[in-house]
Amino acid sequence: MSSASTTSTSSATAGAFTPSDRGRLLADISAAGTIAAPYWPLTAFVAVNPLGGLTDLPFAEATTAARGWFGARTHLPLGAYRAEYARGTVTDADLDRAIVRHLPTIGDQRPIDMGGVRIDPVELVRWDLVHGPDAVSPAPRQQSSTANALDDLMTGWCAAFVDEAHTPWQLPDRDRGFYRAWLAVAGADRRLAAIVGRDARSRIAELPTDAAELLDLVVRTRGISDDGRVAALRTWILRTPGWAGFARWCDDWAPADRAGVRLRMLDLVAVRAAMDHLAPDHLDLTGPVLDAEPSRVTVDQRVDAAVAAFGGGERRGPVLELLEAVTDDDRVGLWLAAHEWNFRDRLLARLTGPVAAIPAERPAAQLVFCIDVRSEGFRRQLETLGSYDTYGFAGFFGVPVRWRPLGSEVAQARCPVLVSPQHEIAEVALDDDTAFMSACSTTAGLHDAFYAAKGGIASPFALAESAGWFAGPLAAARTLAPPRTSLDTSADRVNKRPWWKPFGAAPRTAPVVDAAGTDLRAGLSLDERTLFAEAIVTTIGMAEFAPVVVLCGHGSDTANNPHASSLDCGACGGAPGGASARIATAILNDPEVRAGLVERGISIPADTWFVAAEHDTTADLVKVFDHDTIPAATRPLVEALQRDLDVAGERNALDRAQRLPGRDARVRDRGRDWAQVRPEWGLAGNSAFIIGPRSMTSEHDLRGRSFLHSYVAERDPDGVALETIMTAPLVVAQWISSQYYFSTVEPDIFGAGDKMLHNPVGGVGVVVGQGGDLAVGLPMQSVMLGEQRAHDPLRLLAVVQAPLDRIEGIILRNGGLRQLVEGEWIHVVARATDNDPWSFRTPSGGWEPWHLADDSMTEHRTSLAHTDLSTPLSI
Amino acid sequence: MSTWTDLPAMAKIEVVVDGDDVPAVRDLFIDAGATGYTAVSGLSGFGHGGHHHGRLLFNDRESSSMLITVVPMDRADGLIAGIRRLFENRSGVFFVSEVHVSRPDYFT
Repeated sequence: MSSASTTSTSSATAGAFTPSDRGRLLADISAAGTIAAPYWPLTAFVAVNPLGGLTDLPFAEATTAARGWFGARTHLPLGAYRAEYARGTVTDADLDRAIVRHLPTIGDQRPIDMGGVRIDPVELVRWDLVHGPDAVSPAPRQQSSTANALDDLMTGWCAAFVDEAHTPWQLPDRDRGFYRAWLAVAGADRRLAAIVGRDARSRIAELPTDAAELLDLVVRTRGISDDGRVAALRTWILRTPGWAGFARWCDDWAPADRAGVRLRMLDLVAVRAAMDHLAPDHLDLTGPVLDAEPSRVTVDQRVDAAVAAFGGGERRGPVLELLEAVTDDDRVGLWLAAHEWNFRDRLLARLTGPVAAIPAERPAAQLVFCIDVRSEGFRRQLETLGSYDTYGFAGFFGVPVRWRPLGSEVAQARCPVLVSPQHEIAEVALDDDTAFMSACSTTAGLHDAFYAAKGGIASPFALAESAGWFAGPLAAARTLAPPRTSLDTSADRVNKRPWWKPFGAAPRTAPVVDAAGTDLRAGLSLDERTLFAEAIVTTIGMAEFAPVVVLCGHGSDTANNPHASSLDCGACGGAPGGASARIATAILNDPEVRAGLVERGISIPADTWFVAAEHDTTADLVKVFDHDTIPAATRPLVEALQRDLDVAGERNALDRAQRLPGRDARVRDRGRDWAQVRPEWGLAGNSAFIIGPRSMTSEHDLRGRSFLHSYVAERDPDGVALETIMTAPLVVAQWISSQYYFSTVEPDIFGAGDKMLHNPVGGVGVVVGQGGDLAVGLPMQSVMLGEQRAHDPLRLLAVVQAPLDRIEGIILRNGGLRQLVEGEWIHVVARATDNDPWSFRTPSGGWEPWHLADDSMTEHRTSLAHTDLSTPLSI
Repeated sequence: MSTWTDLPAMAKIEVVVDGDDVPAVRDLFIDAGATGYTAVSGLSGFGHGGHHHGRLLFNDRESSSMLITVVPMDRADGLIAGIRRLFENRSGVFFVSEVHVSRPDYFT
């Protein structure tokens, strides 16, 4: 804490605030803001690395910095790693390898004579990891209760500023930014006056009306130098990291044409700085909130414990010297590395050996699923049911567009957030849709009116009187007897509209993929369509075509779930993938496109038809779209395939039920149950990203832990496809992996906490309880089951089958990817062909051969089942 | 006879920056009062950091971009100070040159 003082505006030592001062200040805000990971609104949840702003640092340094800035844990507690050791999922060999690789000087040291026995330093360090006293976590530097009270005010004002739907009246001057809106009403805030004092109103009135000028005033008043300004700004920003993340999204990622107000980082930090300026005592702005220096006392205790265990108290000096070199940061880092080596060994041991033979005959169907880890189980089940080849490709199927559904005026990006879509595809009715659209308008109006009344201040009382007789019993019935999921996947069933659009028959629709008219952004030109079609086929290495080729996106249907879009397709920007599948199949079935593909050396047989589908990952149902467009000769094949898809879904649901609590028989209904906090596990367990042909993995049950991207190196001689995979899907998967990692190790800071306590706020996110900061990351129920983890927090392992020099070239010429690999945010292992040994890419460059740490690894140890949930649970 | 030097002089600022840093530069432009800018993404070329490839198929953020704006001379200093500060910790280069414009009202 800095010394308490009351600083009046008039005491500021502010000089002239020149345009150059302003430019430099804005640049510093931009630099400071990167500490907050962007937060996408929950309507289109996008998984992000909460330490994404620190990826220019190696993982070890970034996590040290994050512990300081966030006061957060970045690894599992030592006890949790030791539980893995006791369970056999981290072994002595794993620990030794981690020690030698990460602290090579220890491996080079001579043995220490202890009690007449020569002890290898590696063994001593390993003993310290397994048995040594646990480190005392440094406590976050405490800020005052005043600071906490101001944080509460801050989060309330943020919610009021951004809320579009639930505030009975909006803040004045919203269109002039958050700071101006706050300034207009702050003088009337009695809670703020209670903190600031009686003269609050007059002091607020004296504040500059420009956010940058206010910040300059406060920074100068506090005597902060240019060198310390970014740290000071970060301190203010991280008082509310959730809202800061939303501001970061507004500044850096929001579509330019997004409706609604923009919460700028400049305004956010100005409001917090203004409140700090007005408060009787101020935040300490000197840097990270946590001193991460290891405690000397703890090192002494570790040495004492080691000496007591091994004997040889007279050799305390060398032991102290040894263990002093292994900091608390090193200890958790070594455990993480050992845990990852263990997983790497188990996975590569499986992927070493004979690969599946590729059948010579033409398959009955080929199905292209999203790379999402949830596809793996379904694909495995389906492949056992018939002559089906399956592939993995990012679920937007390589067509980055904005999608405007029938009747909607809003188009939503359906592609990874790394891409800025340049084209818009509209869904249009093929039949007369007048009656349907009219009914939709009426029911949507009723829907909006109901929820507007529900969200008002006084209107809920009237609503309860007028609609309670209907809504009350309905809610009770829905609670006591949750609706069942219909397993009917017939065309009639799947074409139905949502429950609030039940009147009027839904017309047949189609995406308009070709460019027409004067709007240059509407549709795609023939060249563009052909390019995208070529990219789909060549990226996954498809050379032969079955009569039916299904592009199967995925989504989920869950009730009462603010994080519902987190279960949808990340490659589609947090939306279901059915629309992308429909667009891609419309392109691939276009005769003009096929003719263009022939010119590019790709010949698709005339009897091949591309079919769009969507996998509901919660119910394990696959819906086929646009039945009416399927040629008559192909329909029997699609109907037979649909039957097998239904069986595969049933089997996969039962398999998933083994890891979910509750009755197996109701596993497919979980999404419809509005009391269910865990409709499915989502991507929990994800640990690897495998790039290669399906024959590498088809013989193995990978337990839903791997993203699977199809790739055939022989069909990509110039490496363009691999570069696309490694610079886009792999990067997005790393974001997902990091989000699961940090939500697991620190659920209260990097995760969204307890879902039972969530309240939607501002139309953008949730808070835990009645107020507080926007909750970022994944809910605890997405990664934990009580005290058990449903996710192993490991860094993503990329497994690539391609020539090593090709992979190396891609890493070296793509700066962002190189940072991830050389900073050890991602591990990469590779082999050129099925017959080659695996090698791993070292952080300093170059490749080293991989070998098992423990050659006696048993079949049990090659299991990929998740650590905690490896056995069925009965809860 | 009028010549091009009779046209009003303004400052043209061209910034080559990583895709991730485009929003920061854009915001500096706007705050400095620039009335517009041009963005060219997917740059390729060669510099002290080695070769820069062009556009990637599905990642607009990985490759470099150039942002170009023209502002009256009196607005250039603040903008230049901001960009210089930004580049103290990020990669990128920028160029400032004097240009003569035919429609000064477009830029003020």
